[in-house]
Amino acid sequence: MNWKYLSAAALLLGGCATSSLVLLPDDDGRQGSLAVLEANGRPAEGVIAQGNSRTKLGDARPASRPLGDKGLSAQEAALLTGLPPPAKSFLLYFDQGTVTPTPESQAVLGELRAEIASRSGPHVEVTGHTDTVGSGADNDRLSQQRAEEVLSWLASQGFDRSLMSATGRGERELREPTVDNVSSAANRRVEVIVR
Amino acid sequence: MLRLPFAFGLIALITASSAAAEIARIKQSSGSAFVQRNTQQLKPVPGLQLLAGDRLVTGKDGRMSLSFIDNTRFAVGPNSRVSVSEFQYDRTRQRGSFVTQVDRGSLAVVSGRIAKSDRDAMKVRTPKTLLGVRGTKFIIEVAE
Repeated sequence: MNWKYLSAAALLLGGCATSSLVLLPDDDGRQGSLAVLEANGRPAEGVIAQGNSRTKLGDARPASRPLGDKGLSAQEAALLTGLPPPAKSFLLYFDQGTVTPTPESQAVLGELRAEIASRSGPHVEVTGHTDTVGSGADNDRLSQQRAEEVLSWLASQGFDRSLMSATGRGERELREPTVDNVSSAANRRVEVIVR
Repeated sequence: MLRLPFAFGLIALITASSAAAEIARIKQSSGSAFVQRNTQQLKPVPGLQLLAGDRLVTGKDGRMSLSFIDNTRFAVGPNSRVSVSEFQYDRTRQRGSFVTQVDRGSLAVVSGRIAKSDRDAMKVRTPKTLLGVRGTKFIIEVAE
């Protein structure tokens, strides 16, 4: 077999699977990129970085074209509409040494409940934190209790426990960095991420 | 010789427990669509928990959407076959690795924390290319 046949075979194979990429700006307006690490089984070093562009995949040095006036196809637009909503994060604050949310945070509980109820197939991640008052071991326990308190409240509102998980991070992830044994309202919190 | 079956059993157990961690949840699906897990075909009902290695398959009127535990989001279009061949995520350090293979069809992606954690920690493989995702939103289409 000579090179002519080989390249003809490669062309035929190429015809079987044409891949393309549409690169879009992030939801917050920033523009990310993709690197072409391999093309046709060989290492490559291309970068696709032009926003609102279309690129045929398979070349080691990809050439992107602007989407232009035609924009996205109906298929592509439908795919974007089908993306799940972004994750949303809620913060609840607690009084010193307690597992009771502050009065202001009680109002956030209502918003949290509405957000979970609005989602299809929700996943709720509850993470408890403390300030640096007290021992590390006590704070691990307290942070876990805070997370479980929020999870139990959500369960009492009718959300299945299998949708949710609770973990405590103690004083390891301070929102407001402090030295040991400092009372901080900003650090006594539970973060809830709803997906 | 007698020890061998026990050792194999132990390895199987360890593999099963590490592979059984949830990586994503199905949010919505419509038309003909299923999740292939080893020899099982699972119905992609909202809330179904996905595992690393799962394959998302849709027919000509099928669609699926899902969210991963690192906040990555997927929408799978009709006539597609997409596998999450590798997914590892350390929640605390917010780092990991994520490899998706698109054999055919279309996939919209909004990348999450894994793509932000390290250069090319998130990769997408198509029949002819391997792409490194550097924090972004994109659509891959693979025609047959």
